[in-house]
Amino acid sequence: MKELFQAIYGGILYGSIYGLMAIGLTLIWGSLRMLNLAHGSLYLVGGYVAWTALNQWELPALPSFLLGVIAAGLMGLIIQVLLINRILGRSEFFTAAMIATLGASIVIDSGALLIYGARVKQMPPAFEGQFKFSGVVITYQGLLIVAVAVISFVLLGLFLRRSRHGLSIQAVSQQMDAARLMGIPTVTTFMIVMAISGALAGLAGVLLSSVFYLAPTAGFNPMVKALVVTIFGGLGSVKGTIWAAYAIGLLEAFLQVYFGSGAALPGLFLFMIIMLVIRPTGLFGLGEEQRL
Amino acid sequence: MLKVSNLHAGYGGSEVLHSLSLQVGDGEAVVVLAPNGHGKTTLLRAISGIIHPTAGRVEFDGQVVSGKRASEIVAAGIIHIPQGDLPFPEMTVMENLLMGAYRPEAWAERKQRLEQVVELFPVLGERTNQLARSLSGGERRMLALGRGLMAKAKILMIDEPSLGLAPFLIENVYQAIREINKNGMAVLLADENADHVEGLADRVYLLESGTVVKEGNVADMLRDEALLAAYLG
Repeated sequence: MKELFQAIYGGILYGSIYGLMAIGLTLIWGSLRMLNLAHGSLYLVGGYVAWTALNQWELPALPSFLLGVIAAGLMGLIIQVLLINRILGRSEFFTAAMIATLGASIVIDSGALLIYGARVKQMPPAFEGQFKFSGVVITYQGLLIVAVAVISFVLLGLFLRRSRHGLSIQAVSQQMDAARLMGIPTVTTFMIVMAISGALAGLAGVLLSSVFYLAPTAGFNPMVKALVVTIFGGLGSVKGTIWAAYAIGLLEAFLQVYFGSGAALPGLFLFMIIMLVIRPTGLFGLGEEQRL
Repeated sequence: MLKVSNLHAGYGGSEVLHSLSLQVGDGEAVVVLAPNGHGKTTLLRAISGIIHPTAGRVEFDGQVVSGKRASEIVAAGIIHIPQGDLPFPEMTVMENLLMGAYRPEAWAERKQRLEQVVELFPVLGERTNQLARSLSGGERRMLALGRGLMAKAKILMIDEPSLGLAPFLIENVYQAIREINKNGMAVLLADENADHVEGLADRVYLLESGTVVKEGNVADMLRDEALLAAYLG
């Protein structure tokens, strides 16, 4: 029974982390049909800025975390304005955007190396302490991550479904010409999406820097996992991404608990391959069309 | 109100519209008639800013709008209902309609405008929570018209309103367009079918190979069967 609870808790925790990272990627794919290879670097920006605010500027935890999230959102916006807006509408947009975001990622990661050095850093948890439930150790920081992720998903869902700008993001994702004919400024919408996506990656960076170490390459693994989740959920589907995040989180945790850590990653990719053979567009994917 | 002067537009290096000129007055209903492939859709796309004219100009309410972004042209008061309706498929009927009122001025009045749209198209009121992709062809056309009405526009440009609809639905759609025009909104209709424009439009422009070859009063033009046969087949 202890193993079962361990796997469920671990799965929910992983799912929350993957969801936070993956939703930003899927929002960008949905509206721009672009693979943002700088997403992991935005995670880094969030983590490092929060760490700096907390440890060097000695700000309290909450403002430090907020600064991390805002900085990552701003960095996303800068990438959009300086790089992506300039290549919108070009014939090879997909490839050009991948190269541009890869370039941005190299610049940000190298900047982190120059400023902070290669030595790993760790953020102190926002809430110290832990308790045991059915023999499973549950940390308060873990619970915070799950709670923040769920609140973020709910708020994002409300924003996308209820607000004028949220609805316009969906409209641009689904039918860009019609969105333009309704007066929706597509470039502004892309900038909003990139800022939200960056802020979500930054939030993941802030929260996870107390669980994992912070290093100039630390954004890569979360981004790869987020990519897997995004593809599994169906590129561009927010609902699919959240389901996929928890499905993959639970699968990974169950494989770790019952078959050992070594089985988790191969098992995960085997599952992905089988799923994509059966359903190539992912859980909630709707098929793709050329957009820009 | 809308004045198109010597407009040239096309796709890539290929020009579709050649020095096309036309006008639509305040509250007027005007039809552009032409068979497929003669530039009706390109004309509407060039006016609404989806493609940019290569020469000539479009003025609306005395202000030049050609070359501006689509969002600015909508803000000026021009709404284009495209061929194929282009609904947002994974959004509900209500969300589609709300997107019609995207501009802040229209958004502030969205509740009143929703009431007006539902009054004109009661079927949309019965389907508010249904996804747009699940609507029938006729309902989709109503949704496209309703979405256009939400925008607080001054002119509605409608591309092929009868395209792909069953004959019994076509009359309903034209009736709705008549109602919209009667309520004071100017209408520019692009159509290949002359059957439904009588009693709806005030003036007609006949288009051939991307330019106006004839313009005049609807009744006179529709009486000239030789002319209609020559241009529309």
